[in-house]
Amino acid sequence: MEAVTCTGCSLLCNDIEAAVTDEKLFHVKNLCRKGHGHFQAAFSERTVPMIDGQKATIDQAIARAAEILSSAKKPLLYGWSNCTLEAQAAGVRLAEKLGATIDDTSSFCQGILMERILDGRIPTCTLDDVRNYADTSIFWGADPSNSHPRHLSRFSYYPRGEKRQKSYEEERTCIAVDVRRSATAEICSNYYYRVAPGSDEQFIEAVLAVLDGKIPKVADKKKMIELGSILKKTEYGVIFPGLGMVYSLQEKMDLFERLVARLNEITAFKVVPMVGHYNTRGFNELLREKTGFINRVSFSGGAPAHGPEHSVMAAAKSCDAALVIGSDPLSALPFATAKALAKVPLIAIDPRRSLATDAARVVIPSAISGLEAGGTAVRMDGMRVKFEPFLKTDLLTDEQILTKIMEAI
Amino acid sequence: MVSAMEIYMLLPKTNCKKCGLPTCMAFAVGLLGREKKIDECTPLIEEKKYEAKLKKLREVMAPFENASETGLIIHPEKCYGCGNCVVACPVNVAADPTRCGIGLGPQSDRVILKVEDGVVVSNNLKECRRFGPNKILCNACTATCPSKAIEFV
Amino acid sequence: MAPEVVVTIVTVSDIFQDEAGRKSRFSDQYRDLSARIFLDKQDLAALGAKDGQRVRVAGELREGETASIVVTAKADEDEAHPGLAFMFSSPWSNQLAIEPASAVGEAAVPAFKSIRATVTVSDENVTGISEIFSRMRG
Repeated sequence: MEAVTCTGCSLLCNDIEAAVTDEKLFHVKNLCRKGHGHFQAAFSERTVPMIDGQKATIDQAIARAAEILSSAKKPLLYGWSNCTLEAQAAGVRLAEKLGATIDDTSSFCQGILMERILDGRIPTCTLDDVRNYADTSIFWGADPSNSHPRHLSRFSYYPRGEKRQKSYEEERTCIAVDVRRSATAEICSNYYYRVAPGSDEQFIEAVLAVLDGKIPKVADKKKMIELGSILKKTEYGVIFPGLGMVYSLQEKMDLFERLVARLNEITAFKVVPMVGHYNTRGFNELLREKTGFINRVSFSGGAPAHGPEHSVMAAAKSCDAALVIGSDPLSALPFATAKALAKVPLIAIDPRRSLATDAARVVIPSAISGLEAGGTAVRMDGMRVKFEPFLKTDLLTDEQILTKIMEAI
Repeated sequence: MVSAMEIYMLLPKTNCKKCGLPTCMAFAVGLLGREKKIDECTPLIEEKKYEAKLKKLREVMAPFENASETGLIIHPEKCYGCGNCVVACPVNVAADPTRCGIGLGPQSDRVILKVEDGVVVSNNLKECRRFGPNKILCNACTATCPSKAIEFV
Repeated sequence: MAPEVVVTIVTVSDIFQDEAGRKSRFSDQYRDLSARIFLDKQDLAALGAKDGQRVRVAGELREGETASIVVTAKADEDEAHPGLAFMFSSPWSNQLAIEPASAVGEAAVPAFKSIRATVTVSDENVTGISEIFSRMRG
């Protein structure tokens, strides 16, 4: 059994032990069902180099990809959230060289929130801080039981911590704010606050009201007042917003920022974004350090430009070629975007078959990071995790592929 | 969880008393409480007309066959592999305080719950606090499960 | 006219559907777990439908274009949520998700969690992934 890191989600669990035999995953410990699916996926539906639906050599595929990208006037480089920092850095260099638009999954996920956290406008902490100090964990429009299964057992509810030796039994409270009784809300039992879709603004106003000792404008006033007293008695609170909250607030994220600031006048309250893929935050931090922006950047004018017109959803319609790496936008994005992308010459760098690889003119197989390729990634809380591969492969890593493409241009 | 009524519907419903109980409903309750075994209903086993009911009854009671003496049943197909039970279990925490105690996968052999191949498995359940002469009604594992994958009969 | 129910669909995550999707996007298992809509019990009854009934879910995309898929309706036993429906994020739910209005605002995110759709009973087969794929190419 070898010690390995799981790249299935942004918790980057590295207490995993795995043994492989005869090309199959023989035995693995501590991996949740989601991570297990991620590991199992290494053994089926693997891609091979293809050009226009025909098998090719890896060198031919890379050469063709370079051709397509260099002759494009407005290339789009999309994906990145499932790549190591090293590969992401190569991707940004490639975008610069090509004068391309580069964007990642945060563009239609947690970007709005991540920006404010990285800019320091919303206070944050590490997951280890959560385990050691948090006495109130709030899952807002997030269902970690399904999206980040070991979140509660490793950090936010069940484990003991430095100041939380009595943990969930006496010293931690878990609260869920959601539109439905999710599996996580069920665990939070009486501390489940149901909100109507799109009404998180009103919910925040109600919380601000009770924090000021005013009557909240909600149906269940008693429950909201109870929430107010929990928040006031909290020593170290952490809010984990998911897509449910981010999509509901969108342009009104200022209001959430105001709420967090107000809470911090009373006690310590931090926010940790529940990003999905294992290295979304890594890409946001890397691109921000280089350009000042976390996503949606275009190098077509030389200096980096940022804006919604450079988001994958807009760029899909205006680009004339696209590189998709470690992502399947044809599955994950709205139909209109998927349709636009399916029309342009696509280059898919992916270890496994997907709708994007099926639609691609060029398919380049890659080693799966975490399993077959090593590197560094950034956990949802900003902690860097370095990992080594444990499966042998002859496949090139994302970083190697991108470097070769750049050399060929 | 199957109910006594559902079990009753799979019995002969003749109240013949061959099992030693006065009614088939009492036998259903006895099966559920694991004080009676299916084979004690001799008409169900011997008479061909009950073949389909017997088959269904064995299917329905199968999880109970697998339940440990503590009454713990795991339904792996429902398990999220989240580790909530592994970290909440007081026996696990006492056995492996520097691992399970702080949310990590166990290294001690004395833990009674651990996650393998994506789902929870039990081990050495006689250490469970629900077992033995000083047993208590601990429900740390069942109360923390997001999907009722782990339960007590 | 056949009874119909108008709902707002919120897409959510599910560990079992995610696991199936990681193993293969093209499997029957992934389709079976993804091509489902969880309706409030009363909404299902108003349709004259039962749990497991196939339904057509149709939405209006931008620019007057409509999209629809055939999925299996499931009755939500848990909580009442009339007018609200849930689907797991998948290529099926994305057939109905609207993009944001172009170049508007900082946010410009798709409406994954507020998909307006009309549900009617259907006896057609559940939409397959190859159908969804060919719509993208066609």
